Amino acid sequence: MLGYICKYAPIEVFEAMGVEIKRIEPEVTNFNQADMKMHPNICSFAKGVLEDVMMHDYEGVLLTTCCDSIRRLYDVLKEEMPDKFIYILDIPRITKDAGITLYEKRIRSMIKSYEDFSGKKFKEEQLAEVIKNSNQKAAISRKKNCKNIGIVGARANQNIKKILEEKGANVAFDLTCTGLARKLLLEEDHVLSGYTRGLLSQFPCMRMEEAAGRDALVLKYGDSVDGIIYHTVQFCDNYAYEYAWLKDKITKPLLLLETDYTKQSYGQILTRVEAFLESLGSLNGLNASHIKRKEGEENMYVMGIDSGSTSTNAVIMNEKREIVAYSVVRTGAKSGESAERILQDVLDKAGLKREDILRIVSTGYGRVSIDFADENVTEISCHGKGAHYFNPKIRTILDIGGQDSKGIRLNEEGEVVDFVMNDKCAAGTGRFLEMIARSLEIDIDRLGPIALESTENIEITSMCSVFAESEVISLIANNKEKADIANGICHAIANKSYSLMKRVGMEPDYMMTGGVAKNPGVVRAVEEKIGAKLYICEEPEIVGAVGAAVYALNQVLT
Amino acid sequence: MNVVDKYIDHVRKEVVQESDKGWEKMILGFKANKLRTKFLPKKNLSRGYQKLERLMMSLVADSLGKEDTYVWGNIFAPCEIMECFGLKTLSVECLSCFFTGYHLEDYFIDCAQNGGIAPTLCSYHKTFVGAVESGAIAAPKYSVTTSLSCDGNLNTFRYLEKKLGVPFGFLDVPYADDEDSVLYLADQLRELTKNLEEKFGVRFREEKLREILAIENETRRDLKEFLRLQKEYFYPGELICQLYLMMGSHLLIGTEEFRDVLKFMIEDIKSYPKFTGKRILWVHLLPFYQESLREYFNGNEDYQVIASDIVLDYMEDLDVTDPFRALSQKIIHNVFNGSYRHKAETIAALAKEVSPDAVIHFCHWGCKQAAGGSVLLKQEMQKLNIPMLILDGDGIDKRNSHDGQMKTRLEAFLELIGTEDLPC
Repeated sequence: MLGYICKYAPIEVFEAMGVEIKRIEPEVTNFNQADMKMHPNICSFAKGVLEDVMMHDYEGVLLTTCCDSIRRLYDVLKEEMPDKFIYILDIPRITKDAGITLYEKRIRSMIKSYEDFSGKKFKEEQLAEVIKNSNQKAAISRKKNCKNIGIVGARANQNIKKILEEKGANVAFDLTCTGLARKLLLEEDHVLSGYTRGLLSQFPCMRMEEAAGRDALVLKYGDSVDGIIYHTVQFCDNYAYEYAWLKDKITKPLLLLETDYTKQSYGQILTRVEAFLESLGSLNGLNASHIKRKEGEENMYVMGIDSGSTSTNAVIMNEKREIVAYSVVRTGAKSGESAERILQDVLDKAGLKREDILRIVSTGYGRVSIDFADENVTEISCHGKGAHYFNPKIRTILDIGGQDSKGIRLNEEGEVVDFVMNDKCAAGTGRFLEMIARSLEIDIDRLGPIALESTENIEITSMCSVFAESEVISLIANNKEKADIANGICHAIANKSYSLMKRVGMEPDYMMTGGVAKNPGVVRAVEEKIGAKLYICEEPEIVGAVGAAVYALNQVLT
Repeated sequence: MNVVDKYIDHVRKEVVQESDKGWEKMILGFKANKLRTKFLPKKNLSRGYQKLERLMMSLVADSLGKEDTYVWGNIFAPCEIMECFGLKTLSVECLSCFFTGYHLEDYFIDCAQNGGIAPTLCSYHKTFVGAVESGAIAAPKYSVTTSLSCDGNLNTFRYLEKKLGVPFGFLDVPYADDEDSVLYLADQLRELTKNLEEKFGVRFREEKLREILAIENETRRDLKEFLRLQKEYFYPGELICQLYLMMGSHLLIGTEEFRDVLKFMIEDIKSYPKFTGKRILWVHLLPFYQESLREYFNGNEDYQVIASDIVLDYMEDLDVTDPFRALSQKIIHNVFNGSYRHKAETIAALAKEVSPDAVIHFCHWGCKQAAGGSVLLKQEMQKLNIPMLILDGDGIDKRNSHDGQMKTRLEAFLELIGTEDLPC
């Protein structure tokens, strides 16, 4: 079996020779081989292919000169597997006649190489048969009574489609190179020439000269769906250019989704896709109109519970939308156990029993591990609802939690219009502050107040948390004042936060939520950076749980 | 704060606060720096490198002052063709480096990233795209790029066209080094001359191109001679001088000015003392701002960067009787085109010629084609018994590398290559 990766690869040529050819769709747990043989900063897809090829018994791999990372992947595979058919096919970027002529020659050379390698023979008549028997599927397939989503950008990871389908959405089109129907042309007298022409006239990818024409098609297709997922692959930069250009042109809701082809990224994809569907008004199962308040009952209570990486927070709300009780506990090693603990704690504070709670909605990173919850909603939607509950003027939220940070933009109804999430590196999160506090040998709660006493501006230049920590250690070694270092760190967080807020589209009023909102040094630095005041509620850690409670209440009251 | 720093600070603030007003002042600063290189050249530089610095300052300051005298290009754009039209080529990579003179790289990079450009993109491209996004820079009438070496080229220039309406000539460089590729690219080069004729209203003369290529051949031979001499003589320079040499050999190749500076350098270097320290062959870009590297390579008589693949990425003579074919061959046969095996073998050939004590491969943030093959190159160098250090960092954005970590790696490597008396 041969593996291939690119939509311009002439796979029908191999099928005509009776060769099984499979598109490589890596889903790996680590990049150990790739990091060792290539470099960590290579496109995740290319690294995933390397791992996949090392793990499976391919007869060979057909690569194309589609990008810098794949060119280097070829070099490494060629060195590592000298006995296999490792081939790189040069695809012209120009699709006019000169490009077609050149590409046909390249394909003929490739055929010759494979014939020499395998002893098989290629015949144009057999290619003509393969082309005749091929099925070409429709480009757009909308469905009724569900959200129709289009996927654009870099090759879509299969998990995106799987999650969309599981959440009841329909993938109406996939304009990435894994989703497009092949364009196969049959010219009886010049089979290979016609075939080559067809391959190069496919919807162009970003490496092609013609790619400027993509915009019109994306915008046209975009009109037919409820929302668009713009997909990029980590360390593949080509599609971000298109996203940067199209984001202000596409009128439909747009989600930028970066994936890295690891199994572990499933959770990150899930949260983003779920939140996106929620923002489109497709809260799966939440239109639970069968849940009604029992007749004759005077009071009614619901609960929202937010299972975060650092703290687990719960809120009980009554039918008048009043917070009856709330509780905040540290999340232990098992989020389910922390949830059990907080359930009892918040019930005790409210003087209620479990059976008094009509509905429980969970949210946060551990939301699916809370067995006693009736529903779960992403923390993004819940923060939106929670922020709107506290202050309906809020349009932009900065949420900095223990292990992630988010920028969320709301409309006047408190619905999420757009969001950006950083949950891939520690920079700009609560964990980052904890690391720094440890280096400064101060309690994390003291970091903010100390920063306010700063007298000298120190700039922490490194964006990476590991680099920043070394930078702090160097500053300590240079006898810099703790207050000044702490203030420098607060400003580093503020810079990172500003970037998140800017990317989501800054609109006043602003609110900050999450544990880091209790740090006066960070709050001051963010306010300076955005040039506006941040609204911070009395207990900024419970905003997500309040939002979850509001969801629960809305369900019961509808 | 001295007057220069005050001006730099003032321009930076102006660009950040009122982007449309900063450009003229940026150009004024470049012009002032050009004068500085003439009347107050850096004393730590050898006379040849002082002249080279002055030439590069003039290229940028003079061109930017008149928008119809230059095109934007990428570093591999065939400047020889633009020279036929009396146009200079200013590469976006080099301009990004010049913007760092105003400490604007982080602001521009943030502008690009906030606009949706990938944080993992090459920082040179991000800086330039960010400069455009911020509205800080004025654009010329035309630009020219190739697909050689870097995915960012086509995408960046397409983005600039969309954002600013600057049309661009695109040269698709095939991967394979064969006759079909040469003909394919040569036709595109001819097409480019037609587009330039139309755009600038100047008639193209093939004879002029032949003359330019003849000077280019002479210059390349001089460049090789200079590198040969640099392994023998201590010729005080800075890391950035390698970038100036790269600018010269890519943006001014075929001009009399660059040829003359090299001729001067060839004679001048012989008047300097013999070099007895460690010779370093540098692979890929140089983070000229990095403190620890400056300490070891700027005017240090114990270590000298004697050659770099970014300066001599093509080594043969061009056939002046068939200039389009010659230019096409030059681009296709470039060390950065094709397989990494080709690159490794070319660098091995360069190593045999300049006999370095060690190789340092700098993996610049975002450059996949360089980083992805670094392990293969190390294996190739091991075959030649030349120690090689792979350094990760960023050629322009200080925030992406940590000087302390770089210093530790560098010092350990310098110890490894058997240096006896470390300067610190």
